[in-house]
Amino acid sequence: MSRRLLKNRRLFYVILSLALLTGFIIILINSPIIRAKGSDDCLTCHDDKDLTMEKNGKKISIYVSSADFKHSVHKVIECIDCHINYNADNLPHNPKKSDVDCKSCHDNIKASSDNVHNNVKCSQCHTKHNILPAREYGKDQTSNCLACHNNKNVQAFMSSTHYKKNVKCDDCHQGGHMTKKLIKSESLTICGKCHTTNQMLGNNGVHQVALKSGNKNAPTCVDCHGSHQILPSKMSIESQSCLKCHLDEKLFPGDTKGSAKFVSQYKTSIHSSIQKDGKPAAGCTDCHGNHMIENPKNPESSTSKARSLETCGKCHTDIVAKFKNSKHGQELLKKNPKAPSCTDCHGEHSIQSTLKSDEFSKLNQVELCLRCHQEQKLPHKNYKGEEVLISNYKDSYHYKALKEGKNAATCADCHGSHEMNKADDPNSRIYRKNIPKTCGQSNCHVKELNEYTGSIHEVSLTQKNSPDAPNCNTCHGNHQIAKNNDVQNRISNSKGLVQLCSDCHNSVELTKKYNIPTGRTESYMNSFHGLAIRGGSKVAANCESCHSHHNIRPSSDSLSTISKKNLPQTCGKCHPGANQTLFNTPIHITASLNESPLLFWLSRFYIILIIVTIGGMALHNLFDLLKKMKNKNNKNDSENEEKEKDVSGKG
Amino acid sequence: MSAEKDKKYLRMTLNERVQHFLLLTSFITLVMTGFALKYPEAVWVSWVRSLFGDFAFEIRGTVHRVAAVVMILDSFYHLIYITFTKRGRKLIIDLWFTKKDLTDVIGTIKYYFNRTNVKPKYGRFCYIEKSEYWALVWGNVVMGVTGVILWFENTFLPVVSNIGMDIATAIHFYEAILASLAIVIWHFYFVIYNPDVYPINKAFITGYLTREEMEHEHPLELEAIEQEQQNTNDIKDKIDL
Repeated sequence: MSRRLLKNRRLFYVILSLALLTGFIIILINSPIIRAKGSDDCLTCHDDKDLTMEKNGKKISIYVSSADFKHSVHKVIECIDCHINYNADNLPHNPKKSDVDCKSCHDNIKASSDNVHNNVKCSQCHTKHNILPAREYGKDQTSNCLACHNNKNVQAFMSSTHYKKNVKCDDCHQGGHMTKKLIKSESLTICGKCHTTNQMLGNNGVHQVALKSGNKNAPTCVDCHGSHQILPSKMSIESQSCLKCHLDEKLFPGDTKGSAKFVSQYKTSIHSSIQKDGKPAAGCTDCHGNHMIENPKNPESSTSKARSLETCGKCHTDIVAKFKNSKHGQELLKKNPKAPSCTDCHGEHSIQSTLKSDEFSKLNQVELCLRCHQEQKLPHKNYKGEEVLISNYKDSYHYKALKEGKNAATCADCHGSHEMNKADDPNSRIYRKNIPKTCGQSNCHVKELNEYTGSIHEVSLTQKNSPDAPNCNTCHGNHQIAKNNDVQNRISNSKGLVQLCSDCHNSVELTKKYNIPTGRTESYMNSFHGLAIRGGSKVAANCESCHSHHNIRPSSDSLSTISKKNLPQTCGKCHPGANQTLFNTPIHITASLNESPLLFWLSRFYIILIIVTIGGMALHNLFDLLKKMKNKNNKNDSENEEKEKDVSGKG
Repeated sequence: MSAEKDKKYLRMTLNERVQHFLLLTSFITLVMTGFALKYPEAVWVSWVRSLFGDFAFEIRGTVHRVAAVVMILDSFYHLIYITFTKRGRKLIIDLWFTKKDLTDVIGTIKYYFNRTNVKPKYGRFCYIEKSEYWALVWGNVVMGVTGVILWFENTFLPVVSNIGMDIATAIHFYEAILASLAIVIWHFYFVIYNPDVYPINKAFITGYLTREEMEHEHPLELEAIEQEQQNTNDIKDKIDL
């Protein structure tokens, strides 16, 4: 039992001592106290922030944060593994001052020969003692780069879209130990790694074509977007980027389209001067596009005539929508080469607000329209297909007034600008039924429109939809409109006015069609008023004197100037005696049986009287004459006979 | 005999010739200016109008009214003349229609149609002249009244209403046509175209008729004058005796 017990006790001691040894070894290996044999020895002194030494006459810190070091990847090696030839017993430890050579261990680093950092010490990026694993180092790489690259341009990266979207330096610059300086021509490839769609769009643009043809001035991504301070598209591509090159007269000489001079007009344009959200209302790219900029001659180009509606319509939606329905727009969509697009009237870079623009001043607007609508260039046909002289607008009172500095109607005031349409279009401002509204628009002939509204002419025009009812134009003309007292105007004199009204009121066709009383012109023409006008009187009453002009109403209408109630007053304008007269019979009467039996029978009586009396007188005198001639002949004969007798008697 | 032949017979005194002259000038003026109103497109009317320029129509109207006033005043003077002068009263008596005028008309027509060889002998005024005179009186009244209504339309419009004006206008027109034609066909024939007096009867200027004219036109008056002279001579002879 004791032997067995003894044997068991020996085994126990062996196991215990082995366990203790193992534990000790484990403790020994892991204990900082034990490891301090190398680095810890160093750190006992160097983990002091105030520790300095003098090197080349300068006081330098030789502090090493033990916390940082123990966190670094180098925590497994000893200080002396890097700081070779250091002897802790000497001060300084290494009089030879040999540098740390990372390559002695890191001999497998893949570094390109054109790595811009080839001459940069490893520690400048990786630090000396706080060397982090690549995974962790990458997290804050950008600030590492910017620590050295402190020029403004690169620093601006911090505010760029790229930084916000977590794009890092090495995404463009390759990074690691392959970092290289980027050259302009590479930017398409580099940016294209991410911006695939935009790059494809730009493939046939003028800029890329120029770039491919070897034009050194042709811009790449960075020329417009900048390199480091890349901002969200609109902000970075302000027109300044474009104008940088396009205002350079050396690059774009001359004064034709595309020249610097041509582009410079943009600076004074409304697109440039009006601000919207703190930016110009429209920048270069808004019209020209960005990556896919094309020559305006190319029909695919956003600035081509064919696509101008689409381009301008991006902002001017309502106006372009109107324009598309206009005759101009319709023709443009039909690809009529003569049809105008936005720029043909508004200009291109020089575009101005129509109110401020000299080109769109009312007077110049005429020239603008006449540039095309001139007889020699584009014979103007009205909706009926009749050729119409437009340039005689210049003889009109509207134009004369404009020249005198007054406000008067010019082309767009009547035809509309973008919504301009032919007169046969019911939506047109110059459609038959719309003309009174157009002429009577605010600031123009409001008073006249008010007078006209409710008149028999207006009622038949707008309510009865008669195609022959007169609107403003019918009497006043259109382009060559003259002032009422202008001798050019047919309504300026009574004869012309009467003729004008007679055009319809004496027309057999129209009087039949609308059941208009006939004989009005005839009865007027034979009345004293009519005779006076025919005889050159300038004061005798014409149609307008009694019927008024715009407010013409039938006599059955109590508002009419010729209603029974108002007639004494109307006639009284010229004949004060008429004020007390009761007008019991119609005014416009011919001496026909049904209109005025009294006058009819009176005239019949006189005609018969004249025929009988004068006829009788004429017959009486005729017989008298015949008798006297007969008598004379007889007398002559008898005298002759007597003479012959005398002669023969003597003989 | 020749002395007899050269003898002149007083037809119109200076007073009467002046009356006639005023009548004829105002009448012609009225006809022309009236015609110019009614037929403004007639060639001569437009030509005359062009001579007077812008106010031709107003001038025409004024001239018409002035002539009308002349004619009316002339008529009133004539009224005074026939009332207050012996010769004037005699004129009306001689111009008054008698039974003889009716027989003269019938006789003259018979003579024209060769039913008789003897032309009725006319006195101082034959039926032709009498009808002429009374037609003139009638015409003057009608034209004067309607003309005044049309002239002063403010006064008359309330009185005669607009239909009255229309009637006045119509009458003034037709009466003017009647009068003008009567003058041209009736009066002008006897004093101008008539072969016995052609080219013109100068009495309206000279005031006298020749014996030949008296024999042709007023044989009864001639007889009466000669009878009266005979009587005068007889009385003279008696006195001488």
